[in-house]
Amino acid sequence: MRTYFLRRLLHAIPLLFVLSIVLFLVVRSAPGGPLAQAERNPNITAEQREQLRARLGLDQPLHVQYITWISSVAQGDLGRSIKTNRPVAEMIGERVLNTLLLVGTAFILTVLIAIPLGALSALRQYSWFDYLVTTFSFAGQSAPVYWLGLVAILIFYVWLDNPFTGGPLLPAGGMYTLGAPKTLADLIWHMILPVAVLCSTWVAWYSRFFRASMLETLNADYVRTAIAKGLSRRRVVYGHAGRNAVIPLITMIALDLPSVFAGALFIETIFSWPGMGRLFWEAARGRDYPVLMAIIMINAVLIILANLIADMLYARLDPRVRYE
Amino acid sequence: MKLNLPNTTHRRRIAITFILLVMAALIMAACGAPSAAPATGDASAPSQVVVIIPEEPASLNQYHAVAAIVRQVADAVSAPLAAPNAQGEFVPVLAAELPTVANGGVSEDYLTVTWKLRPDLKWSDGEPITSDDIKFTWEAVSNPASGNVLSLGFEKIASIETPDELTAVITYSELNQAYLQQFMYGILPRHATGAPEEMLQWAWNRNPVSGGPYVVTEWNAGESIVMDRNPYYYLEGQPYIDRVIFTIVPDPGAQMAMMAQGEAHVQLWPGEVKEVYDAQMNGMAALQEIPGQWNMTLFFNLSRPFDDDPGAEPPHPILGDLRVRQAIAHAIDYETIVTAVNPGVIETATPFAYGWYQCDQERKYPYDPEAAKALLEEAGWVEGPDGIRVAQGAAYAEDGTRLRVQLNGYTNFQQLVKLEEALAEMFKAVGIETTIQNDDFSIIFGSFDDGAPRQLGNFDILVYDTSLPMEPHASIANTYMSTAIPTADNPAGGNASRWVNARADELIRAAGATVDLDARRAAYCELSDLIATELPRLNLYLFTEGYGASNRLSGYEVNMWGSLSWDIQNWRLD
Amino acid sequence: MSELTLNDAVAPSARKMTEAAPLRVLIWRRFLRHRLAVVAIVVLGLVIASAVLAPLSRYEPTQQNPANALQPPSPQHWFGTDDLGRDVFTRTLYGGRISLTVGLSATLLSLLIGVLVGMVAGYFGGFADNALMRITDGFLTLPTLFVLILIAALLREIPALGLTSSVLIVIFVIAVLSWMWPARIVRGEFLRLKHRDFVLAAENVGAGHSRIMSRHILPNTVSLIIVQGTLLVAYAIITESGLSYLGFGVQPPTPSWGNLLATAQTYALRAPWLMIFPGLMIFITSMAINYIGDGLRDAFDPYSAR
Repeated sequence: MRTYFLRRLLHAIPLLFVLSIVLFLVVRSAPGGPLAQAERNPNITAEQREQLRARLGLDQPLHVQYITWISSVAQGDLGRSIKTNRPVAEMIGERVLNTLLLVGTAFILTVLIAIPLGALSALRQYSWFDYLVTTFSFAGQSAPVYWLGLVAILIFYVWLDNPFTGGPLLPAGGMYTLGAPKTLADLIWHMILPVAVLCSTWVAWYSRFFRASMLETLNADYVRTAIAKGLSRRRVVYGHAGRNAVIPLITMIALDLPSVFAGALFIETIFSWPGMGRLFWEAARGRDYPVLMAIIMINAVLIILANLIADMLYARLDPRVRYE
Repeated sequence: MKLNLPNTTHRRRIAITFILLVMAALIMAACGAPSAAPATGDASAPSQVVVIIPEEPASLNQYHAVAAIVRQVADAVSAPLAAPNAQGEFVPVLAAELPTVANGGVSEDYLTVTWKLRPDLKWSDGEPITSDDIKFTWEAVSNPASGNVLSLGFEKIASIETPDELTAVITYSELNQAYLQQFMYGILPRHATGAPEEMLQWAWNRNPVSGGPYVVTEWNAGESIVMDRNPYYYLEGQPYIDRVIFTIVPDPGAQMAMMAQGEAHVQLWPGEVKEVYDAQMNGMAALQEIPGQWNMTLFFNLSRPFDDDPGAEPPHPILGDLRVRQAIAHAIDYETIVTAVNPGVIETATPFAYGWYQCDQERKYPYDPEAAKALLEEAGWVEGPDGIRVAQGAAYAEDGTRLRVQLNGYTNFQQLVKLEEALAEMFKAVGIETTIQNDDFSIIFGSFDDGAPRQLGNFDILVYDTSLPMEPHASIANTYMSTAIPTADNPAGGNASRWVNARADELIRAAGATVDLDARRAAYCELSDLIATELPRLNLYLFTEGYGASNRLSGYEVNMWGSLSWDIQNWRLD
Repeated sequence: MSELTLNDAVAPSARKMTEAAPLRVLIWRRFLRHRLAVVAIVVLGLVIASAVLAPLSRYEPTQQNPANALQPPSPQHWFGTDDLGRDVFTRTLYGGRISLTVGLSATLLSLLIGVLVGMVAGYFGGFADNALMRITDGFLTLPTLFVLILIAALLREIPALGLTSSVLIVIFVIAVLSWMWPARIVRGEFLRLKHRDFVLAAENVGAGHSRIMSRHILPNTVSLIIVQGTLLVAYAIITESGLSYLGFGVQPPTPSWGNLLATAQTYALRAPWLMIFPGLMIFITSMAINYIGDGLRDAFDPYSAR
């Protein structure tokens, strides 16, 4: 099995190489270009726009541009942003921690809430509690997240007041109160709404998923056998069923981990959170190719790794799975 | 392989600890919140103004800033010698007076311009601002490796002499009509920047040693730019506001909420008409607007789209016929558009709607749906069973072709969508079917190689806003000359309508050959009349320009030639 | 739909369920016992009916009256009017047509691709599996926006599509972005089932690969596919609204729930009804679809306690 995964790890390298070509082509053959803002500036003449294109190397044939880009990436240089002229690595560095903070917190909270919720609702299938959890989780999946975000701002920022200060109950966005010293308390205060909205969707998915896999294992033959053999229900539930139900959940977590890097575009936009999702979106809208390709490739690496890890975990945790 | 999960009691303990931690954090946050909220009404507390901007400026160096957002922020830290005021007249800023022929600042042949600085000016680090900084600005910006892309005439400067610390004598090798504009984007401190060829990477670009009213204290990537008053600013006692925070809020709903709650004081580019904006603000803020530079225009494609030929021939099957374009012009209810669809905008029928080259242009084809129908009948478009016309003897379309045009605009701009939807209804009333396709900004304004439909000629009618600079000739020549039609050999051509008109070419050449402003204006106005008659494009209205401002803010003046922050030193907060 | 009868009862999932009644009847009976799912069917039926009957409204969806813009709900305009004075109720009904079409078509397309890929990968295994699954991984890394812009650019070259092209683009995009999930699930099921006795038996009597795949294994995965399909419909409807928020959804003036909602964002303070009604329609529809999916899952589940 170890050789299988080593082989897949090795396969990942040519795969990434092919992907880099495909993604480069996808990004570059889509219409639109990075100089649209220059086009809109009345003080920039057509001639200067062409000079700018030449300086950025955008007038070169596509394959030349690809080779230039990939060889500098191979040397660990992600290049400089077209828009800001700053190193791409630096720009990503500024944003990645913010995203980690927001999405990571929401992710951990989600898992911590969803596992007990899903397990309890599976154990008490068709009880009022189960219906409640089901309804809640369907509701979480059923609303567009930007809509939910704006509704949350309307309620907690516009309509509700903080009884102590008379100000808004919760802030509309950002990471810190503007002009105030940066404190942990202030940060947490700003994280409540975005994390809550993120969690409401994710908890929905995860609790639902865990409920299903819990139900499946609870009904599996070996669990029935264990109960028939007289083991205590508690021990069976936590020891046997719970453990096996966690396996698919762990793989699902592994598969979702790249999003902690990629960020959450809608939430970051609605709540003015300076994260990766927005950096990517702004780079995409402005066709800032170096930034764009860097994020896309890092994300591709993470997704491929996550898939590999998920399969590996699956193989380790579930003795029935065999890879040749 | 065994999965070692902690036993249940242990797990429960972890869970309880975690919940306690979260609760503690929430309590901390709740207590922290009030103290963290900005103090209001306290006279001794430093005053603070929050300005909402929808996107982050890439840099505060205006010389390689292509995006409009840069100037909006950068004017708070830049040091122009002279800049236009709200009336469009240049006024001295760091210069002691405007150089003119009368005061000897400008030579008779306009080739020598002498700038004199105010005495005792200082950069924000306490170093003196001298004429050498003026010279350095020229050296830096005119360096081909500097990355400057703005055409400001620096290449026309032959030399700069600095006879003393306050005087810079600029010698031009050829006439620069816009010499007052020369240092409008600020002069650069030689001692605090770097080598000209590294201008793109100067640390100064994001943390400038400032000659303007403010200095950058903090730049939180993607979130906010905090500026505090420049202690060495030349105006005594100004700026009045201690701290200005530019905060980046991308979502319009969130922007509105922050303004309505009074947390922010200025909202740049609300993208909303005044009536609707003010109603949303409930008296907390109002849209401050003036007629702006952006001219909403329909660009008709006179050439056949999707024929792999970006040039002018063959004609567009529908819009190639002047009568159809006239009918479209007659079909538009201009009054409704400027009073009800986007109330507050200012109707105009000419591309030359402001500046010294402003023309009074009558509409050649005013709102008259009956005339529109008659023209379409005459052009061989007869009404079909569902009210939409079909070709029957039309000039360039095969019989049976449906009279269908596509309006092509750009996304995320609500005013534009409203206009398109209103136009679609008006066109329908005379038997023209309309589809709407709004593309990404970087597609519509992309270049020839990027596959921009505008450059490739793959569109029917483009709808967007254009503007002209104070010195418009280069732009006019690249928009209306028959030589400016975009092709593979001329990818940057700006004649998107593919309009070929000998008289227009003649007029533009004549205007380019003289320095006599009256003669130039006369030529442009004849061109305007030609455009309004031949309809390669149809000008609709001027946007109002401005920003939402809190009713606690005063002292500001909206300036169509300047930016949001051009007079930030005069702002006051009650 | 599968033709599962007693003949196929050798299949493991069917074995435990079938007594006397045909499986379909049994599943239907079980489904009816899930009361919320039944309510959901009724609700969804009403939503669909309202979309189908939209032309009965006394307003046209694009009929404007700018002088009467942003009016709150009233007896004349049940859901109020929008920024061009159009009747929001009518537009919401018409929007339902587009959103439901997008939801269903994108799901069908996504399932078609996903099931084909999953079947081939899972059944043949080895190189085919490896290659297809790596392609699936690759698709997961595609940047949404560029897929969208590329598809839009490709379809743009076909002027004959005309009016409906933006709807088509949205359908294609959602399918391209979502087929990987059904593909993974179907592949997993095929991996699991392909060594079972009933498959071996079919092989022994000389059935060809395509016959085994489509007639013997696929019917056993139908329950999972249907459940996955219901989830995809809800996902597609919500994704459509997300695309609209970003400015890449169904083009105006054609209303969809997504673009109604996206436009309403700017008017949230002044005219909250603009965002509330289309938002609720998405919410209700998606809830109903989820409940139906839940009911189907239970109905297909042989261990269901009901």
